[in-house]
Amino acid sequence: MPRIDEIYEAVSKGNRKVVAEKVQAFVDADGDVVDLLNETMIPAMRDIGDKFSRNEVYVPEMLIAARAMQAGLNIIEPLLAAKGHKARARVAIGTVKGDLHDIGKNLVAMMLKGAGYEVDDLGVDCPVEKYEEAVQNGASVICLSALLTTTMPYMKQVVDHFKGRDDVKILIGGAPVTKEYANEIGAQGYGSDANDAVRALEQILSAA
Amino acid sequence: MKRTFYLDLAHSRLRMPIGTHLVLAEQPDHDACLEDGEKLGQVMIETARRFKTPLAFPLMDLMVEKQQMLSMLDIPADQADTFHFSPGPDPDALDRVRAAISRPVIPRLAVYADAIRHVAKEPDILPLGMAIGPFSLMTKLLADPITGLYLAGTGLTRDEDEEVAAIEDCVALATEVIERSLKLQLEAGAKAICLCEPAANLVYLSPHQLAQGADTFERFVMQPNQRLRQVLADHDADLIFHDCGELTDDMVRAFCTLNPSILSLGSSRQLWQDAAIVPNDIVLFGNLPTKKFYSDAELPVPVVEQMTRDLATRMAETEHPFILGSECDVLSVPGREQAIMEKVMAFLAA
Repeated sequence: MPRIDEIYEAVSKGNRKVVAEKVQAFVDADGDVVDLLNETMIPAMRDIGDKFSRNEVYVPEMLIAARAMQAGLNIIEPLLAAKGHKARARVAIGTVKGDLHDIGKNLVAMMLKGAGYEVDDLGVDCPVEKYEEAVQNGASVICLSALLTTTMPYMKQVVDHFKGRDDVKILIGGAPVTKEYANEIGAQGYGSDANDAVRALEQILSAA
Repeated sequence: MKRTFYLDLAHSRLRMPIGTHLVLAEQPDHDACLEDGEKLGQVMIETARRFKTPLAFPLMDLMVEKQQMLSMLDIPADQADTFHFSPGPDPDALDRVRAAISRPVIPRLAVYADAIRHVAKEPDILPLGMAIGPFSLMTKLLADPITGLYLAGTGLTRDEDEEVAAIEDCVALATEVIERSLKLQLEAGAKAICLCEPAANLVYLSPHQLAQGADTFERFVMQPNQRLRQVLADHDADLIFHDCGELTDDMVRAFCTLNPSILSLGSSRQLWQDAAIVPNDIVLFGNLPTKKFYSDAELPVPVVEQMTRDLATRMAETEHPFILGSECDVLSVPGREQAIMEKVMAFLAA
C-alpha cells in the first residue's frame, strides 16, 4: 500500500484533529491498519525525528507530531491487536531514582511508540525495583534517563542489577550522559537525543 | 549596588564558579545545614572565601518556590516533587495564594532567608538571593507544558483550549509566589537576586513559531520577569539573570532589557559573540561546561585548562566586561567530588 499523504502530512505537522478524522475514515473504509502504521504513520514520525536530529524542527514540533500520531494510534491499536499484530519489542522507560525530570524521557517514549515499539512508561524517580518489575512484565529493553549529574550515578546501580542477564538490554541517555559514560558503566546503548535513542535501540536489538 | 561594583569585578578578572553545592557537600553535617540558616549562611561565606569572590551565592534550589506555592494551596508537602496541576489550577487558586501571602513561609525558605541574614553580617561579602523564574516554575507545575505553550503560540486562547488556560494560570501563580520569595530574601539582606530561568529555552519554545510571530516568549517569559525586575528596583536591589538553556540571539537581547547587572549563560552560547549583542554595562558570566566536569574521559583537566585560556582570550579581545565561571551551579556528584573540584580549581588558576 502506498503512503497516504494526507495522514503523513497531518502527523508531520502535528494536526491531531485531521489525523483522527483521516485515520477513522481509513478504518471505516476497511483499510489495512498494519499497512497504514508501517507505510504512513511510522515513516511520518521517523521523518520528524530525522528533522529534529538535523535541527530543522525542535522539541515542541516533535511533541505536537507525537500527539497527533497518538491520536491515530488510539484508533488503530485495538484493530492491530485484533489482527495479532505484535510490537517490535516491549520497552520500559523511566527517569532514574532521585530525578524528577521527564521531558527527555517523554520524548524518547513518544518516539519509540511512533517507531512501533510497545512502551511501558515508568515515570520519574524510578528505583531499580521498578525496572525489575517492568522486566518481569515482559520488557526486554530498559531505557534510563537522567538530567542531573547528581542522579546519573544511579544508572550504574541499575546496570549492575541486570548484569549478566541475557533477557535485558539497557539504553541510557540524558543531558549530562555521554557515550563514554554508557561504556564505562556497561550499558548496551546510548542515545544522544530522542531520535538517536530509536536508532540505538534498533542497533541493540539487531545485535541481540 | 552601583553598577560599577560588578563592572569592577569583571575588570579585576574575577573568576568563580557558582559553587555553594560543592562546598555544602563537603560538610559532615550537610543535611543539618539545610535546616539551620546560620550554618547554611556559613557555607555560603566559606564558598565565597574559597573561590575568592565577594559574591555569596545561595544554593540554586529551584524547587523551593514550588513547595511554597503548594503549601499555600494546602497541598501536602510530600507531594511537592511530583505534583502537577491537571488540567490546570482551580479557578480560585490565585485568590487562595494571595490570601495566604502573609502566612509564615515553609521552613526551607525560612532557612534560606536566615542564611542570607547571616551572610549580611560579613562586611566584605555581598549577600545574594536566589529564585526560580516564573516561566521555569510554570514548567514544574504542569505535566506537559510544551504542548500548551505551542498551542498558545498558534493563537488559541484560554477559552478555546484548557491547556492554554493552564499555562496562563500557572505563570500568574508562579509570579505571585516568586515575588513573595524575593521580598523575603530582600528583607533578609540580599543585595541582588539570581533569578534563574533555565526552562526559557528552545526545548519549551519553538524558534520556528517565535519567528512566525508567536508572542509566547514575551507573554510568559518576559512580562512576568519584568514585574519581578520592578520588585528588585523598588528595593534598590540588583538582578543577576541566569539561563543556561539553549537560546536564540533574540532571547539574549530580550533578557538584556531586564537590565541585569550580570547575565549568566550556559555553555551552548559563544559568549564572545554574545558580547556584540549585550550592552557594555551588563557583565557576562559563564560558561565553562561544568555539567560535564564529572567526566574525566570527556573533560580531563588539561582540556578544562585549555578551554579556560581560550575563553579568557576570546573575551579579552571583545573588551566586554566578563567574569569567567561555570555554566550553572556546580553540583557535587557522589563519587566524583574530587574530579569536579579539581577542575574548578584548574579553571580558577589557568
